[in-house]
Amino acid sequence: MEKAKISGFQLFVLIFLFEIGSALLVPLAGEAKQGAWLVILIAMIGGFLLFFVYYGLFQYYPDQLLTEYVRHIMGNFLGRIVAFLYILYFMYLAARVLRDFGETLLTFAYPHVPLFFANAVFILVVVYTVRKGIEVLARTGELFFVLENLLFMTFILLIVVSGMIHINNLKPVFEISGVEMMKMSFTETLFFPFGEIIVFLMIFPYLNEPQRLKKIGIGSLAASGIFLAFIMALNVAVLGVDLTIRSQYPFLSLIQSIEIAGFLERLDVYFLVKLMIGGFIKISVFTYVAVTGTANVFNFKEPSRLAYPVGFVILLISIVIASSYSEHIHEGLGAVPIYVHLPFQVIIPVFLLVIAYFKNRKKKQGFVPPKP
Amino acid sequence: MNRKWLVLLLMIGTTFTSGCWDKKELNEIAIVSAMGIDKDKEGKLVGTFQIINPGNVAGSLQGGGGTNPAISVYRATGNNVLGLDSIASTKISRDMYFAHANLIVIGEEIAKEEGINAIFDAFERSPEFRATSRIVIARGVKARDIVETLTAIDKVSAEKVIRTIESSEKQQGRSISVNLQEVIKNLVSTGKEPIISGFTVKGNTDKEDKMENTQTSDIEANPTTAGIGVFKDGKLIDWLDGNKAIGSMWVLDRIAHTNLNIDWNDKKDAITYQVQRQKTNVAAKMKNGKPKMLIKVLVEGDIREANIPVNLNSPHVLIDIEKRLAKDLKKEMEDAIVRAQKNKSDIFGFGEIMHESHPKEWKKIEKDWDDVSFPKLEVDVQVETFIRRTGLRNKPYLSNLKKSDQ
Repeated sequence: MEKAKISGFQLFVLIFLFEIGSALLVPLAGEAKQGAWLVILIAMIGGFLLFFVYYGLFQYYPDQLLTEYVRHIMGNFLGRIVAFLYILYFMYLAARVLRDFGETLLTFAYPHVPLFFANAVFILVVVYTVRKGIEVLARTGELFFVLENLLFMTFILLIVVSGMIHINNLKPVFEISGVEMMKMSFTETLFFPFGEIIVFLMIFPYLNEPQRLKKIGIGSLAASGIFLAFIMALNVAVLGVDLTIRSQYPFLSLIQSIEIAGFLERLDVYFLVKLMIGGFIKISVFTYVAVTGTANVFNFKEPSRLAYPVGFVILLISIVIASSYSEHIHEGLGAVPIYVHLPFQVIIPVFLLVIAYFKNRKKKQGFVPPKP
Repeated sequence: MNRKWLVLLLMIGTTFTSGCWDKKELNEIAIVSAMGIDKDKEGKLVGTFQIINPGNVAGSLQGGGGTNPAISVYRATGNNVLGLDSIASTKISRDMYFAHANLIVIGEEIAKEEGINAIFDAFERSPEFRATSRIVIARGVKARDIVETLTAIDKVSAEKVIRTIESSEKQQGRSISVNLQEVIKNLVSTGKEPIISGFTVKGNTDKEDKMENTQTSDIEANPTTAGIGVFKDGKLIDWLDGNKAIGSMWVLDRIAHTNLNIDWNDKKDAITYQVQRQKTNVAAKMKNGKPKMLIKVLVEGDIREANIPVNLNSPHVLIDIEKRLAKDLKKEMEDAIVRAQKNKSDIFGFGEIMHESHPKEWKKIEKDWDDVSFPKLEVDVQVETFIRRTGLRNKPYLSNLKKSDQ
C-alpha cells in the first residue's frame, strides 16, 4: 500500500466516472424495453445494499486493503488464495473493459486497425498513469469530470433543441412485468455496473476523511445510477425501443441522430471523448488495484514496477477472451454475472463480513468500540 | 544517455504512428452525395452513385464553373447493396466515401414489387453512413433519372431534392421529409407504417443529364416533388396527392404552414387562410371494448386573400369563416383517414398511441391491427380554427368598387 491520500471529492469523481465508464456504451437493461431506466434504478438500490456490506468490511479494517485483511479474516493460507483470486478477478475485468473499448473504437472509427494495436496503445497510457500512483489517477479523474460535465451539458442542450425527445416512446413503462424487472435488476444490472464498486475496497483506505465515506459512496452511486437511468430513458425517448436494443452503442446512435439547422450533425466526437474518458478511468482503476493487490499479496516493495507486466497480461487477456464482439457481449451478459460477479461481489464479501463480525466481537469485549 | 535514446525513440515513434493507420487523403476519396436504387429486368439491384465533382461545384463562384457538371454518375449492378459498392469501385478511380451521402432514392418498381424491407441493413450497419440520410421514392421515373439530373440553383441535385422536400413540407405539407432512422423504425413497428415522399422529373426527360439542361432559364427537365408514398408490409401500395397528402400531414401533426381555401357565395376558393400555428393531439380511448381515436386540432392563422366583397371588420363574419374553415379541414382530415383505412395501412401511428395508453388491450389486437382493427377504427376529429389577423387591409377593395354597390 503506497503512502497517498485522496480527498472525498476525488473519490466521488472516481466512483462516478468508474460506474458510468462502460455502462454508458451498451444498451444497459435493454431487455426491459421502456422500463430500462426503472430497472437501473432498482439495481442502484441493490447497489446501496452491496455498498453497505463493503462499508461494513471497511469499518473493521479502515486502514487496510482488501487483499490484506482477507488474510486476517480467513487465515494466512486461505486468505492469500482468496486475495489472489480477487487480483485475477480485477485483471479479468480490466481486460473486459479494455476489450469493450477496443472493439467500440474499431467498430465505428478505425475498421482497419488491428485490435491488438488499439488495445496496446491504450493500455500504455493506463500503465503510465498507474505507475504514477493513485493520487495522479484521482487528479486526472477530477480534470476529466469537469470536461465530461461540460460535454454533457452541451449535449443535453443540443438534444433538447433538436426536438427529438418523444416522451411517449417511454410508454408503457411496464412492457415487461414488475417481477421480470426485479429479476433483471438483481441478476444483471446489479453486478454490472453497480456491484463493480467492490474494487474500491482497495482504494477506500487512501481516503483522507474516512468518516465521510458512507455519504460519498452512496452519493456517487446514486449520482451515477440516476445518470445512467436518465441516459437510457433518453435513448429510448429519442430512438425508440427497437432501435435502442438493436444498437451496439445506443448512445452513439443517439448522438448521430442530432441534426440542428442543417449543419450541426455527426457529433460523433462526443461519443469518442466519452469513450476515452470512461474507458481510461475504468481500466486505470482496475489495473491500479490489480497492481497494488499483487504487490500486497507477494510482499513486493515497489508496486509501480509491477505496472508494466500486469498491463501486458491484461492486454493479452483482452485479446484472447473472445473471438468476436458478439461472443464477448454474450459472455458478459450470460456467464460472467452468475459465475464471476455473484461470488466475488456478493458471496465472498458477505461471508467475510460475517466472520469479521464474530472475530471482532470477541476481540472488542471490554474495549472501546471503534469509531463510526 | 538513456534519456537521449528515449527522446529519439519517441520522436521516431510520433513520426511513424501519428494517426496514419486509417488515413484517407482528400484526393483519394470520391464523395458520394446521393445513391439511387433500381432493379433491372433480371431482378438485380442497379445502383446509381452521384459523386461530387469538387472543382466544378466551387468553380461557379470564381466564374470558371458552369461548363462542366458538378456531379458525375456511376452505375453498378449487384445482388445486394454492398455488392453495388464493390462493382462500382471497378469504375471509379477513388474510394467511395459515404459520410456525405444525404439522399437515398428508391425506384418505384422495386418499392412496389419487392418492397424496401431488404434494402436498408447495409446503410444502418455501416459506421460511415448517416442515420439522418433522407429517403425518397422515384415516382414514375427510375431512381437513376433523379440521381443523374443536373439542376440549376443548387449545383448538386441531391441537395436540391432534399431542400425541395423540406420546403414543400414546410410551406404546404405536401411532402414529408423522412430519414433512414425513421423509416426503419416505422418498418419495424407494428403500430405504424412508413410513408415516404415521392419525387419525379418533369419535362424533357431525355435531357436531364446534359449540361444544356441548366443553361436555359426555363429548365427543361426539372425534379419535382410528387406526393407521398404509402407503405404496407414494406411495399409501396398507394400515393397520396394534394389534399389527401395535406390531410395526412395534419393528422401526423407535421403541418407548419399551409393554406386553406373556402368557397364563399358560390365563388370557388374565394378566401384564403394561411395557417401560422397548429397543434394536433391524438388520443386513444376504449369504448365498449373497442378502441376509438380522438383527434383534436387547434389552428391559428391569418386571412391572406379575399376575392369577394366580405366585411372582414366584423367579428361575426370572421366567426362564420372560422366555422367553415373548421368544417373543410375536418373533411380533409377525415378523407385522409378513410383513405388510409381503405389501404389498411396505419400511417398515422394510431397503433403506437394505443400501445402507449392501453398496453394490455394492445397486446390482444396488435397482431392484426393493420388488417382488422385499424380499418374499422372509429375516429373522431374535432377542429377549432382561429383567425387572428387579416393582413394590411380590412375590407377587400372589391367591396368598394362602384359596381358592387349596386
